Amino acid sequence: MLTYTIRRLLIIIPMLILASFLVFLGLELMPGDAVSFMADPETLANMDPAKLDAVREQLGLNAPFLVRYLRWLSGVLKGDFGYSLTSGVPIKQIVFQTLPATIELSLAALLFSTVLGTILGIVSALRRGRMTDNVLTVAGLLGMSVPQFFIGLVSLFVFAINLGWLPIGGRLRPGYESFIDRFPHLVLPAVVLGLALTAGVMRYARSSMLDVANKDFIKTARSKGLSEWRVNFIHGFRVAMTPVAILLGLRLPTLIGGSVVIEQVFQWPGIGNEFLSAIRGQNYPLVMMIAFFMVLATMVSSFLIDLVTALLDPRVRLS
Amino acid sequence: MKRTTGLLIILIATCALVFGAGAKEQVTQTVQIEEEVTQMGPLNSNPLSDVRVRQAIAYAIDMDAIIEGLLPGAVAADSLTPNNEWKVAGLEAYSYNPGKAKQLLKDAGWDSAKVLDLVYYYGDQQTVDLMATVQAYLADVGIKVVPRKLEGDLNSQLWVAPKDPVNGTSAVAWDLAYAGLAVVSQYEYYNRFLSGAATNSHTPGNAELDALLDAVNKTNKVAEQKEYFGKIQQFENKYLPIIPLYYQQLFVVESDRLTRNGAGYGNEQYAYDWKIQTWDIKPNADGRKVMKANGGPLQFFEAPFVAPAIFTSQKVLFDRLIVADGGLQNFRGQLAKEYSVSADGLTISFTMKDNIYWHDGSPITAQDVKFTWELAAKVSSVNVLFSGLFKTIVGYADFNTKKTNELSGITVKDNTVTFKFASIFPNALVALSQLPPLPQKYLGTADPLQIQQSPYWQNPIGSGPYMVKEVRMNNYCVLVPFGKYHEGRGIIDEIQLYPSGESDPNLVKNALAGQLDYGWTKSLTDANALKSVAGLKVMPYDMNYTRLIYVNKFAK
Repeated sequence: MLTYTIRRLLIIIPMLILASFLVFLGLELMPGDAVSFMADPETLANMDPAKLDAVREQLGLNAPFLVRYLRWLSGVLKGDFGYSLTSGVPIKQIVFQTLPATIELSLAALLFSTVLGTILGIVSALRRGRMTDNVLTVAGLLGMSVPQFFIGLVSLFVFAINLGWLPIGGRLRPGYESFIDRFPHLVLPAVVLGLALTAGVMRYARSSMLDVANKDFIKTARSKGLSEWRVNFIHGFRVAMTPVAILLGLRLPTLIGGSVVIEQVFQWPGIGNEFLSAIRGQNYPLVMMIAFFMVLATMVSSFLIDLVTALLDPRVRLS
Repeated sequence: MKRTTGLLIILIATCALVFGAGAKEQVTQTVQIEEEVTQMGPLNSNPLSDVRVRQAIAYAIDMDAIIEGLLPGAVAADSLTPNNEWKVAGLEAYSYNPGKAKQLLKDAGWDSAKVLDLVYYYGDQQTVDLMATVQAYLADVGIKVVPRKLEGDLNSQLWVAPKDPVNGTSAVAWDLAYAGLAVVSQYEYYNRFLSGAATNSHTPGNAELDALLDAVNKTNKVAEQKEYFGKIQQFENKYLPIIPLYYQQLFVVESDRLTRNGAGYGNEQYAYDWKIQTWDIKPNADGRKVMKANGGPLQFFEAPFVAPAIFTSQKVLFDRLIVADGGLQNFRGQLAKEYSVSADGLTISFTMKDNIYWHDGSPITAQDVKFTWELAAKVSSVNVLFSGLFKTIVGYADFNTKKTNELSGITVKDNTVTFKFASIFPNALVALSQLPPLPQKYLGTADPLQIQQSPYWQNPIGSGPYMVKEVRMNNYCVLVPFGKYHEGRGIIDEIQLYPSGESDPNLVKNALAGQLDYGWTKSLTDANALKSVAGLKVMPYDMNYTRLIYVNKFAK
C-alpha cells in the first residue's frame, strides 16, 4: 500500500509538467499577446511601436516559446508564481484572494448535492418502480439537462428580484464580513451549482444501491434476521457509496473549474471569473497558475479517491 | 419688314447666345463630369475603390428597418458626425433603395461572383445578428459578403497602413470592417483619413481631403473648425470612404432616490462638470445617505492614461486642472483658479488654487501637473488625445529621445504651470480637462512602462470630492467625502461601487434588485430592459459614438 501510494504521488509530477506545457502551448497558439490586449486596437495603433516593444521586452514576451516556458517553470519550482501582466498584482495574491471564494462555493455545492443526492437516490432505489422513483428519475434527468446559467437566472429572478429573499449576487458587502453575514450570498449559487451534481449523485446512488441489494452479503444479513433498516443502511449503504464517493471526488476539481458560469451569473468573485478574464487578456502567467492549480486539484482528488475507496470498501484493501 | 428683320436678328442673336452659352456650359459640365468620374470611378483594381459600389452598399442597407427590429432607440447615421452642433445640413441620407443600388452596381460593372470579407470584433449577439442582416441586404442587390469575427491581435489585423499611402497595396486582408468609433472630438473622427495616418489601412490618400484636414488641424477657432468640418462631412457624404450605420447613445440610469441638484448631464465616459459633491440621495433606514453605483475596481483602479474617466471611481477620485461642460466645450477652472490661452494658441497657463489637497492632506502643486504630463509622455498606452497634446509641446522630441530629462515646454513658476506648444493642438483644453494631475510623491519612482502595475493603483490617493475608505478588490469599494475638498464637502455620506468593466453585465440585475442608484450603459438591450422598471430613470445622451463599416479601397 505504501509503495503504491508513493508511486501514485510521483506520477503526479511529470503529469503536472506535461499538462502545464500543453496549456502554455495552447496560449502560444492563440493570436496576439498580452500587450495586444492592454488597450483597444485604435489606441494601440496610435502608440509608439518602440514603446510597445520595450513593454514586450520588459515582460519577457520577445523570448522564444521554450525559453518563456522554462522561465515560468523554473519560477514556479522556486515558489515564484509571477505577476499578473495586466495589473502587476502578484499571482499568489490573486489566487489567495479568489480561490477561497471558489472553494467555499464548491464545497457548499458539494455538501448540498451529496446530502440531497444520496437521500433521494436511496429513496428512489428503495421505492423502485413506484411513483416516487419515476418522479425522481425524471427530476434527475431534468436537473442534468437544464443549463446551469438558465437555472441561475430563473432563481435570481424569483428569489432575489421578485421575492427579495436573497441577495442578487456578490460575496461580500460593506460591513458584512463574517461567514454568517455572507451566508445568504452563498445560498443561490451553491444550490444552483449543486443541482446538476445532485442529479448525478442521485442516479449513481440509486443504481449502486440497487446493485448492492442483490449481493450475497445483503442476503446473508437478511437471513441473520437483521431489520430492514440495518440491512439497508448499515450494510448496504456503506458499500453502495463507493462509486458515489468516486464520483464526488472526481467532481470536486471540476467544480472549481466548472463554476465559471455560476460565478459570472452570481457575480461571485472566484477564480473561475479570474481565469476567464485572464484567458481573454492573454495574461499567460495567471492562466498558467490557475490551470496548474486545477490540474493539481484533479490529480490530488484522484489520488484521494483511491484512498477513500479503500477505506469505504474492505474488498479494495484485501485485493 | 424692318420690324420683321429686326425681330429675326434678335431671335437669331438670342438663339446664338442661348446655344453658344449652352455649348460653353456643356464643355464645363463635361470637364466636371470627367473630374467627377476620376473621383467616382475605380481608383485601382479593387472594385470597392469605385464610389458607386460604396454608394450601392449604402443604398442596399435598410438602416431604419434594422433599427426598428434590432436596435430600437438607435439613430440612423448619414455621417461619422452625430446630429449635434458640428453637423452640416443637407447631407444625403442614402435611404434604402435597392433598385438604385442595383443600378449603381451595374454602372460600376460589379462582378456578382466576388465575395467580400466582412470582419467584426464585437462578440455580442446583437452584432452577430446585425452582421447576418447586413449580409442578407447586400445579397439582395448582388453583393456577396461573408462575416468573420476577428480574434487575437486586432491591431495587426485591422489598422496596418500600406507602405504607399496613395497607390499602395493593402496591408490588411479584409474588405469591409464593422466597427464602433467613440471619440472626444471631431478630430478623432476624421484624422484617421489623412494620407499616411498610422491607422489608415482603408482609404488611399486624397489631396482634397488632406488639404481640408490640414487646414482644420491648424486652427483653434471654433467657427473655422466648424466650417472645415462641414466641408469634410460633405466630402465624406459624397465619396463615402466609410459607410455610416447608426449613432449609439449612452444611457444614464438613476434611481428616484437620487437627485443631481441641478448639475447637468454629459458623456459619462469622460470627465465633465457633473458636480457630484452637490448630488443628494434619500437617506436609508439607518438615516445615512448611501449611493450605490457601478464602475468599481476589479483588480486595480484603472490608471487614467488610456480611458481617463470611464469608471465612476476615476471621475470621483480625481479632479482635473479645468473641467468642461457635458458637451466638452466650455471650460472652467477646477484645480486651477484661472487659465489663459495666448492669442496665437501656442501658450496656455494655469494658476493653481491655494486650497487644494491630495486625500492624504498634502498640497497639490503645479509641479504635480508637470510631472503628470511628463509621465504621460513616457507610458506605453495613452489616449490619442493625450499623445496628440504632448507631441506638440515644445521640447518633446528631445524628451522622447532622452536627450533631456524634462519637457522644456512645461514650466512651473510658483503656483503657475505653463504649457508651450510648437504647433497648435486644437484639442489642448479638452485633453487638459481629462487627464488628472497625479501625485509625484507616490508615482515618482514608478516604472512608466508598467505604470498600471504600481501599488498606488490598489488604493489611490486622489484629489476629488470623494476618497477611498475601503476597497475589497473584486467585491466592493467604499468612498466617503473628502473633508478638505476645495469645492465643498460631498452631501452623500457614502458611495458604494460594485466592480464592473466598461460594459457591465450585471447592470440590469443589480438595478432590478434595487442595488443601483447611478450607472450608465451603452447597451441598447440593457437600456430598453430598464426603461419599464419602477423607481428608475433611463436618460439617453447623444455622445460621439458612431457605428460604421470601413471600406478597404486599396488595391489587393
